[in-house]
Amino acid sequence: MKLTRGAALVLGLVVAVYGALMLYPLLRVFEDSFREFIPGRIGSAANAPLTLANYTDLLHASYVSYFWDTFRIGLIASVLGVLLAFPIAHFVARRRSDWLRRATVGFLITLMFLSVLVRVYAIELSFGPAGFAREIARLFGVASASRFYIEFMIVLGLLHYAVPMSALVLIGTIQNVNPRLVEAAQALGSARWKSHLAVTLPLSARGLLSAFLVSFTLSISAFIVPMVLGRGKIMFVSNLIYTRFSELANFPSGSAVAVVMLGISLLVIYAVSRLTSGGWERAVR
Amino acid sequence: MKRLADNVLGLMVGCLSIATIAFLVAPLLIATVMSFDSREFLGAFPPPSLSLQWYVGFFSDASYLKGLQVSLILALAATALSCLVGVAAAFTLDRYSFPGKETLSAFFLSPLVVPHVIIGFSLLLFFSTIGVFDGWVRLIGGHLIITVPYVIRTTLASLVGIRKSLTEAALILGATERRAFWKVTVPLAKTGIATGAVFAFAYSMDDVSVSLFLTGPDFYTLPVAMTAAMRSAFDLRIAAAAVCLIVLTIALIWFLDRVVGLDKVIGQGVYHK
Repeated sequence: MKLTRGAALVLGLVVAVYGALMLYPLLRVFEDSFREFIPGRIGSAANAPLTLANYTDLLHASYVSYFWDTFRIGLIASVLGVLLAFPIAHFVARRRSDWLRRATVGFLITLMFLSVLVRVYAIELSFGPAGFAREIARLFGVASASRFYIEFMIVLGLLHYAVPMSALVLIGTIQNVNPRLVEAAQALGSARWKSHLAVTLPLSARGLLSAFLVSFTLSISAFIVPMVLGRGKIMFVSNLIYTRFSELANFPSGSAVAVVMLGISLLVIYAVSRLTSGGWERAVR
Repeated sequence: MKRLADNVLGLMVGCLSIATIAFLVAPLLIATVMSFDSREFLGAFPPPSLSLQWYVGFFSDASYLKGLQVSLILALAATALSCLVGVAAAFTLDRYSFPGKETLSAFFLSPLVVPHVIIGFSLLLFFSTIGVFDGWVRLIGGHLIITVPYVIRTTLASLVGIRKSLTEAALILGATERRAFWKVTVPLAKTGIATGAVFAFAYSMDDVSVSLFLTGPDFYTLPVAMTAAMRSAFDLRIAAAAVCLIVLTIALIWFLDRVVGLDKVIGQGVYHK
């Protein structure tokens, strides 16, 4: 149907809501990131001189390490998440509708809806100093206050979301892989593990990539997980933005970090969606 | 030999899956058990005896109760507004065709790919420069923009599934366009709208990254109060609060299963947060 005046008005109103609550604020952040920092102000002064200093500051080694930590830990968690989720998804996808399938799916969806605070608190309670930290840290041969163990806790925190999310994405994908193909490979003499490596995995490549993409974008923008489990020793870029506001009140610098982080996030989404050749929208869904 | 390798590998993968599931469940169980701990301090697991003291503590703490009240009202308001805006946008997008429609729907879903911390930070900057300091306005604005895309997505997905022939049949049988819309399209889209509403409510209840920027020392949500408590005194009232949130989540999922059916939710793409 052609657009009527009433419909155009509705769309215009929705665009206005998005403009006021997202687009304009983001443009403000962009503008702010080029302003000189004047202490004690929320937002830069309208006539503050323009500068690139907020960006050049980020090239300093200590800032680069925040970005490096974020991407390295995010990558570890999302790769692990997809690998651990695959067998679970395969198990569910290859089952007919029965109580076990329903229960597993219900469990995975409940986990996705679960408050991030609940996860973080439960993991801190179980694997932190009040829980079994000392025993587990000894298994690795490290101290429970060491940087390695804190990184391990953050990875656990990210996995608690990445695994159920990846499993749900992969269930949909594996369901669409014809089970007869694997059976054919096995009937022709291939070992079971080989037939999965040669048939199931390549045919689910798109699902694997999009599960990885969603896990990765969510992991690198994680906020609560590194804030609580990182114990101030490891911070992600998102925590860096928050400290610009809460501790330093340096908005121009926070804006510059936000612009760089947003740029990188969008770039990652674009790159991986090109790989999955499904358009970013489908990949993100 | 081949059989043996298969069985050993199969067993290893099976054990790994069970370990993964155990890792997902165990911390939640430990937190639940610990919330009934009768000790006055945060001791080792398992607790020697059980009591309800941390629940009593949580529900008699004025600051938690205030946060809970704000969170519930906020979640209801944000859900209602999101449904209003989201359903209007989705129906219009589905019904009319015009140039730039694809771009517009991508724009409407775009808050999903902007990290929430950045949304919170930018809204703080925005509200402060235009002089909006009212906590409710700030929070409802922030929660609206992060929940609306979910309503739009689930509603659009359910509308796409409705066959055009059903509406056409109603028109051929003499219904007016308006009547066909209200009697055919809206009832069929209900599941999508309900799913979107559950998403909106759950994510509004859960949000910290946006709210943290928009709240202050005397106006905050429950998650913000819990985050502050987690960073200072790590006591077990948080465990009691966590158990309440787990129960709320299970209730939401039960509602979703009753109204929509969980299998349908997966089909519509629950995959993103």
